[in-house]
Amino acid sequence: MSNSGSTIYIVDDDISVCRALSLLLKSYGFNVQTFTRAADFLTFKHPKVPSCLVLDIRLPNINGFALQKAMASRGIITPIVFITGHGDIPMSVKAMKAGAVDFLPKPLTEKKLLNAITQAISKSKIQNKKQTEIAKIKRRVKILSPRELEVFRFVAKGMLNKQIASRRGTALQTIKVHRGRVMQKMQAKNVTELIHLAQKAGLISPQH
Amino acid sequence: MENKTRTKKRLSKNRAQNGERVRLEGLVRKQAVELKIKNGQLKNGMAKQAKSEEQVYIRTKAMESTAEGIFIIDAQKPDFPVIYANQAFQKMTGYSKREILDQNYFALYGVDADQRIINEIKNVIHRGETFHGEMLSFQKNGNKYWNLLRIAPVRDTGGVVTHYVGIQTDVTLMRARELEIDEQREELLHVTRVGKLAEFVSSLAHEISQPLTAILSYAQAAQRMLMDKEPKLREILQYIINDDQRAAGVIQRLRVLLKKSSSEMKLLDINTLINETIVLIATDATVRNIFLKLELESGLPLVRGDRIQLQQVLLNLISNSFDALENNLSPREILISTSRKDADTVTVSVKDSGCGIPAHNIPKLFTHFFTSKLDGLGMGLSISRSIIESHGGRMEVKNNPDHGVTFYFTISAGKKDV
Repeated sequence: MSNSGSTIYIVDDDISVCRALSLLLKSYGFNVQTFTRAADFLTFKHPKVPSCLVLDIRLPNINGFALQKAMASRGIITPIVFITGHGDIPMSVKAMKAGAVDFLPKPLTEKKLLNAITQAISKSKIQNKKQTEIAKIKRRVKILSPRELEVFRFVAKGMLNKQIASRRGTALQTIKVHRGRVMQKMQAKNVTELIHLAQKAGLISPQH
Repeated sequence: MENKTRTKKRLSKNRAQNGERVRLEGLVRKQAVELKIKNGQLKNGMAKQAKSEEQVYIRTKAMESTAEGIFIIDAQKPDFPVIYANQAFQKMTGYSKREILDQNYFALYGVDADQRIINEIKNVIHRGETFHGEMLSFQKNGNKYWNLLRIAPVRDTGGVVTHYVGIQTDVTLMRARELEIDEQREELLHVTRVGKLAEFVSSLAHEISQPLTAILSYAQAAQRMLMDKEPKLREILQYIINDDQRAAGVIQRLRVLLKKSSSEMKLLDINTLINETIVLIATDATVRNIFLKLELESGLPLVRGDRIQLQQVLLNLISNSFDALENNLSPREILISTSRKDADTVTVSVKDSGCGIPAHNIPKLFTHFFTSKLDGLGMGLSISRSIIESHGGRMEVKNNPDHGVTFYFTISAGKKDV
């Protein structure tokens, strides 16, 4: 199995639950890391590997929902599988709306847990891939000169060379040169691709 | 000579006549004075009589125009006939004046009136005592009404009871309102009891599901580690797994059984809700000599919530305050206030001047089974907080700078589109 490259985080205040789930998931080949306090998980340095968080809702101090929020605000994108001995429907709806992969009642059946984790890991892989791609594009943006970046923004907004030239009060030829360098540095084959890259790098919002 | 004599006689006669006239005149004058005095006395007496007649008239008029039923019964006749009944009494009983006068007083309350009370009143009249009580009575047309009745004896100068005067009030509406309040209080108590049990089972379920989760996962991990070795051991592990799941099933069913009745979320005016809740405990507050003070901000947005559940929270907080004031001499006051926290949030606070909460107990306050009361279960505040949280609000507590504590909770304003 290819589970060895993936890490499962478990946050549950019951140390025995942590140990038991850890044993079970390790038997499936996952890397497992357990935390009994939400705060410890937040301060932990997350390696860039496909991962999944198995999270108990009832926790002292910071509960599961609060941790979900804190993760979002810190940009920790690990998909969450909630587990609870208390759950009801409104709670699960709340969890799912906030982007959880699944919401499982305790005690957990092996099959359901494994299904949810598999789903979370594949989501994590897609997210990681996307993040890597964005990071790559952002690195390309960084090597653009200030003028090239400016021209890039205008082009991404769909402006023609002539319009950009008159807006900036520069010769058409100069704009053409800048534009050529932008295409080259961003590794874009055509304008359509360049606009896509601009969107992914967050230079323009998708509506534009 | 004869003439002389005659003249003399005449003279003397004249003299005598003169004397008589003076005497008569004196008499007349005296009689005139007496007459004048008598006349004055007579006039005076007539005025007095007129005055007392006027008073009688006013008293009768007053008795006729009051809303209380007033009647007088003859206590010396065996069947207690009514000799006077005002208009309100006629209206209350449904009988006309003619149907009432000289009739047996007790017959006017209908044949279905409570005989025990009727007998008690008869005994009271025999003993010449007073009666004060409520009785279900029946009008002429059979309609029921609750009759608050007070009767008292009227004695003659010798101290003998000759009559009884009675006043009665129709308290049907008041009783209906009291009944309604009792019912609401009972409903709330029931909901609270069910809520406590559900919360208890829920937290018990949580506590038990933790070790069940661990046992299940340990057994499953062990099974996987054995792979295809030790089939007997694998079978035993499977039994452990099955029984673990059986226990989990029992808890699950118990939880479904005690599931809180689905809450009814509606748009509510929080101030109205507080006023309705206060009515339910007003008597309790009076008995305990506690003053409930309200400071409700007007123009607050409507909130979205379950009426019964929010009342439960308010009652819990207020009755906790009652307990906190138990040994306070003064001031015995609870302040309930509402205010707008921001555009979409309303804050409700319940402040008492009681004994306060030791700082080290505050973090434990909302946890299950924590209580500082001898007969407490430690469920009230934890239920209250979970109700507020299920409404999307928060509940907090602070010790006041002087004395006592204030509990706050927030609740979101309802949005029409939800």
